[in-house]
Amino acid sequence: MKLGSWAVRTGKKLLALLFSLLALATAVFYISRLAPGDPLVAYYGQRAERLTPDQRAQAEERLGLNDPIWVQYARWWENALQGDFGISYKYKMDAAEVIASRAGNTLVLGGAGFALIFVLAPLLGALCAWREGGPLDRVLCRLGAAVSCIPEFWLSLVAILVFSAALGWLPSSGAYSVGGGGLGDRIAHLILPLGVVVAGHLWYYAYMVRSRVLEEARADYVLLAKAKGLGRGRVLLRHCLRCALPSYLSLMAVSVPHILGGTYVVEMVFSYPGLGTLAYESARYQDYNLLMLLCILSGGVVMCSGMAAQWISGRLDPRVRARDGEGAEP
Amino acid sequence: MPELLEVKNLSVSFFTPAGEVQAVRNVSFSLKAGEVLALVGESGCGKSALCRSIMKLLPGTARIKSGSILANGADITHYGERDMKKLRGRLFAMVLQDPMTALNPTMTVGAQIAEAVRVHRPRISRAALRDRTAELMELVGIDRPRERMERYPHQFSGGMRQRAVLAAALAGDPAILFADEPTTALDVTVQAQILDLFRDLQRRLGTAAVFVTHDLGVVARVADRVAVMYAGKIVETGTVEEVFYDPRHPYTWGLLRALPALAGGRDSLYAIPGMPPTLVNPPKGDAFACRNEYALAIDYEEEPPMFPVTDTHSAATWLLDPRAPKIAPPAGGGAVGR
Amino acid sequence: MAGEVLLDAQGLAHAFPLTRTMSVKALDGLSFQIRRGEVYGLVGESGCGKSTAARCVMNLLRPQAGRVLYRGIDTCDPKAFRANRRMLQRNRQLIFQDSAASLDPRMRVGDIIAEPLRLQRVTPPRGTCRDEAAFQMKYVGLDPGYLDKYPGELSGGQRQRVAIARALAMEPELLVADEPIASLDVSIQAQIVNLFKHLQAEHGFSFLFIAHDLAMVEFLCSRVGVMYRGRLVEEAPARELFARPLHPYTRALVSAIPIPDPRRERARKPVEFRGGELPPGGLWTEASPGHFVLEERGDAP
Repeated sequence: MKLGSWAVRTGKKLLALLFSLLALATAVFYISRLAPGDPLVAYYGQRAERLTPDQRAQAEERLGLNDPIWVQYARWWENALQGDFGISYKYKMDAAEVIASRAGNTLVLGGAGFALIFVLAPLLGALCAWREGGPLDRVLCRLGAAVSCIPEFWLSLVAILVFSAALGWLPSSGAYSVGGGGLGDRIAHLILPLGVVVAGHLWYYAYMVRSRVLEEARADYVLLAKAKGLGRGRVLLRHCLRCALPSYLSLMAVSVPHILGGTYVVEMVFSYPGLGTLAYESARYQDYNLLMLLCILSGGVVMCSGMAAQWISGRLDPRVRARDGEGAEP
Repeated sequence: MPELLEVKNLSVSFFTPAGEVQAVRNVSFSLKAGEVLALVGESGCGKSALCRSIMKLLPGTARIKSGSILANGADITHYGERDMKKLRGRLFAMVLQDPMTALNPTMTVGAQIAEAVRVHRPRISRAALRDRTAELMELVGIDRPRERMERYPHQFSGGMRQRAVLAAALAGDPAILFADEPTTALDVTVQAQILDLFRDLQRRLGTAAVFVTHDLGVVARVADRVAVMYAGKIVETGTVEEVFYDPRHPYTWGLLRALPALAGGRDSLYAIPGMPPTLVNPPKGDAFACRNEYALAIDYEEEPPMFPVTDTHSAATWLLDPRAPKIAPPAGGGAVGR
Repeated sequence: MAGEVLLDAQGLAHAFPLTRTMSVKALDGLSFQIRRGEVYGLVGESGCGKSTAARCVMNLLRPQAGRVLYRGIDTCDPKAFRANRRMLQRNRQLIFQDSAASLDPRMRVGDIIAEPLRLQRVTPPRGTCRDEAAFQMKYVGLDPGYLDKYPGELSGGQRQRVAIARALAMEPELLVADEPIASLDVSIQAQIVNLFKHLQAEHGFSFLFIAHDLAMVEFLCSRVGVMYRGRLVEEAPARELFARPLHPYTRALVSAIPIPDPRRERARKPVEFRGGELPPGGLWTEASPGHFVLEERGDAP
């Protein structure tokens, strides 16, 4: 019976997820068609302007662009359900293939960024909380607030100016040097964009950890832990950080799309061949099929991370967890 | 018997945006080994601040302005955090009012008691730690300790939680236990059990205790000596019998008369008129004067010193001055009724 | 003892879901009556359903079973409630334990007291709303100089008086006070209890007084009901109940009250009560006139 109800709940959630994706797909499909621009520019490039009206009509016919929108929409679904997401007008390849070729780069950049933020934020937050009000805390708080206020694209430009143009230490764009290169080359290309992604987001999460930890530090049990003879540092780590962790983890799950969005921006500035640049191009050149797939993928990530956040906060807090099964004792 | 704890002329202030709050004003008291001292008074009279200032657990806005604290003969007034850490848990331990918030909700009860044990014996083995934790839980009357160790605080009832807090407090065999309203949040029946446990433990382990409470019934049950606090000062102190049967301070009279058990079938309770003064700018003279129906002119001018009544009993009221008019105490002599 | 029955709670039952499969029975067939002009005390351990009972009586919570009759009107029946809504909302007022939380911190005291008048569009009997608020404040022993203060500027006892004044502004018949003195200091408690006693004796208000301070209950209440796990286990006039408790739980409860007298307090031995569920059923018997007790079957009185 317990398994049954679990299955029912999971089923319900999946259904809700699918429904949201459907709604998202519909919205993106219609909005992208409403936006001004010429999809043929993506396909033919400069040549599109020199096409005769006949050729134009032919091309639109071939790409299925002259049907009513709802017909196009139905056709898209028909194909999508068979695993065919259409071709990218710009790359003249399967949209899925284009995305697959770029996703790796974004995963490396976004994943590494996320992992770094995930580890550094609690450390930084706990450090600030431990030194609350001290000079280190004050400096870090101001610095963090200032850095996280700077827009990422500007931060990227500054980083390029300083580290590539002026100092010449690091490459300014791309994921690897022309003609390939070893692991070292890839890492060198990764450092700047990664640095910007981490710098842009880290403080937001670190500050949240800091205030959660300090909030916990005012609780009675912290006073008692100190009365037991524990030092302030140990109380903060063992008690406060621990209590702050469930909400931190669920926040981090929700943060996935946030950081992903930051990655997209940074990719663009660094011309890093990832999904971010791809998404920008596809929106710019009306590359409908590519745009659809990218939006659905990103939307899926957002929704899944939301669900993960819910699940995590439910699992980690013993007060919530223990509700199933064991009751209170007299 | 030697004095275990001696507090002399202690003044503690909180520096807040509203001004300096004189939470503890010129308080002196002492505590012998194995003795229970009850600190009685209304909220905001400085009872808790007094305890926490002795353990140095006050927030950063608070400061000891003057006076000294002697523990086991050593002056700890100016001890820093590092030195205090060594004393906490061993010399002093604490139990708080609300057992709901006194335990970390994300750690098992056993882990929280074990943590207190490990502070004092860092090299203890895993098995020995479990044994000691179970032993402590048994000591405070939690049966099936090995099973309950794994439980989380929310799975315990209020009384059980307070027992667990007590177990953690006793982990380092403290010489003095500060109990800050430990039974106020509990049901009457549970309160009776915890008080009995408290007395029993105190007798078996010889722990001295400072028991902060506003409930005179609780005082009557657990205390050896009583100190009545008002507006940051101790206004009367004596053995429990002296304070209950021969109270001398008008504030103590008021507290006793306000109890429904002592209403003796009257239609209304006695209520002390007015409200306690704020401690930002304590009034000149006796802080209780404006609520005191027996106030003398001098009460508004000069603070009364502690007048000794017996060796153990003294009260800070001008009524005890030989020149003052004699007043038949309106309270004391034990409860009537039930 | 005779008097018109003002409030009649009949077989109230309510369970709160804990998980999908488990629920906790807050009320389990609770019945009691409050007569006009009496102070009815409801006591019991925390979590026994006292506050849930208060919320059912005030129609803030609809009981899953049973009904609440007020002056013979079934208030749990939506139709009857709508028909008498003004009367029901005016005549019954609630006072909470934590006046710091139940008063809007951004409203001035005068506005807080007059708000129910405005909401119910009652013409203030004493001139303007402000005059009415000032009158009620004087009535509960608050200086009208506090009219323009915010609740945060008042002490706990003063705030509780504001809460009482707000309730009295509607000139109710029944006041439901849920732990109204628990968060107050001893000397202030006495002031508030005296005020309640005065309101009842001089002005004929009826009270449902929920408290865990048994000594106060004994002093203030005319009749007392003892709740255990959502049920009433004993009910009697206050003196009688405290002098001659019959149910084992009541006995444990009464014996646990600390006596502010060291010699007698130390000689006192609390009666143990092994908790756990009450056996289902049980017989509601009258042990002596007005003194009812829930007897487990086969248990001699």
